[in-house]
Amino acid sequence: MRTDDLIARLTDDLAPVKGGTAQRLLLTAAALGLLSSAALMLAVLGLRYDFDTAITSFGMWTKLVYTFVIAGLGLWTVERLGRPGAGAARPVALLALPVLAILLLSAWQMAAPHADMDALVLGHSSRVCAANVLLVALPTLAAAFWVLRRLAPTRPALAGAGAGLFAGAAGAFIYAFHCTEGAAPFIAIWYTLGIVLTAGVGAVLGRFLLRW
Amino acid sequence: MIAQEAQYREWMLAALAGDGTAYRMLLAALTRHLRSYFARRLDSGAEDAVQETLIAIHTRRASYDPGLPFTAWVHGIARYKLIDEYRRRRRRATVPLDEARDLFGHDEAGEAIARRDVEQLLAKLPSARQQLVRDVKLDGIPVADVAARTGMSESAVKVAVHRAVKSLGEFAKGAVGGKGKGHADG
Repeated sequence: MRTDDLIARLTDDLAPVKGGTAQRLLLTAAALGLLSSAALMLAVLGLRYDFDTAITSFGMWTKLVYTFVIAGLGLWTVERLGRPGAGAARPVALLALPVLAILLLSAWQMAAPHADMDALVLGHSSRVCAANVLLVALPTLAAAFWVLRRLAPTRPALAGAGAGLFAGAAGAFIYAFHCTEGAAPFIAIWYTLGIVLTAGVGAVLGRFLLRW
Repeated sequence: MIAQEAQYREWMLAALAGDGTAYRMLLAALTRHLRSYFARRLDSGAEDAVQETLIAIHTRRASYDPGLPFTAWVHGIARYKLIDEYRRRRRRATVPLDEARDLFGHDEAGEAIARRDVEQLLAKLPSARQQLVRDVKLDGIPVADVAARTGMSESAVKVAVHRAVKSLGEFAKGAVGGKGKGHADG
C-alpha cells in the first residue's frame, strides 16, 4: 500500500479519543486487579483470624501505609512507562521515601531495650511471606499488563518491572489482611522482597508480552 | 524545544477531538520526518517502517499525554519501531541514543536543497527512467503497482530503477569530483 493511501485510510475513520482515556484504563485495571487479588487471598489464604482487633493495631497500619504508598508510586510509574517520551524518574525517586521510613522505623524498633531480634526480623512466617505476596500479586500483575498492552511502552522490560512494582505492592497490601506479622523489620525485609520478586517477574514477562 | 512542536501539538489535539483534516496534515508532515529518519538508519524497508510507525501512532494515540511534548512522543514511537526493525533483522544489538531532535531537527531548507540536487541529477536520465525512480524511490510506490501501471514486469522495473540509481550515483560522483578530488569515495 502507498503511504498516502494509508494516511487517507487512517484519517477517514478517525474516532475522537476522550481526554483521560489512559487514566481511566489504569484506574479500571487497578480496581479489577485489586479485587481479583483480594478474592484470591480470601479463597486461598483467608482473612487473619484476629482481624477485628488487628485492624486498629500499629503493625497492621505499618504494613498498609508502606504498601499503599509503594503501590501508588508503582501505578504512577506504569502510567509514565506506558507513554512514549515520558520519563519515570520522579515516581521511582520518590520510592526512597517509604523505604527510608520503614528503615528508620525498623532501626527504632530494633534499638528498643530488650528487643527480640528473631521476632522482629523473622517473625513466624518469613519463609512464606515473599512467595505469598507474589501469589496474591499475580491477578493485579495481569491487570497491569492488560493496560500496558493498550498503551505504548517503548521499554518493555522496564515497563514490565513497573507493572510488577505496582502489582507486588498491591499484592502485599492485600496479603497484609491475612498475615499476622506487624514488626517493621519483618515488613522492611519480607514484604519488600515480595514486591521486588514481583517486579522481577514483571520485567521478564514484559520482554515478551509488551511488544507491539 | 523542537521548532514544529506547537503546530504539531495543536494538530494532534484537534485530531484527538476528531478533526480529520488536522489529522491528515499532521500525518503528512510526520511522514516526511519519518521517511528521512528511517532512510538514514535502514538500508532497506524504510517505507514499511514509516507505515508501521504511522499505524502505531494511530492505534496508540490515546497514550499521548497532552501535558507532554508531542514531538518526544512521536520520536519515542519511531525509535521503538527502529529498534524493533533492527531486532527482527538481528543485525545490530544496539541503537544509537538519538533524541527527538534527530527526528525533527534536520532543517527543511536542507531537505529542499537535497531534493533540488536530486532533481538536477534526475534530469540527466531518460524521462521514462526518471519517472520510475520518482515513483519507486521518492514517492514510495510499491514496485508491483508501478509494474502494473507501466506494463513492465516487476523485475524489469527493479532492474531499471537499480541501473538508474547507479547512474545517478555516477553523475553525483562526477559532480563532487569536479569540485574537489579525493572526497568522492567518502
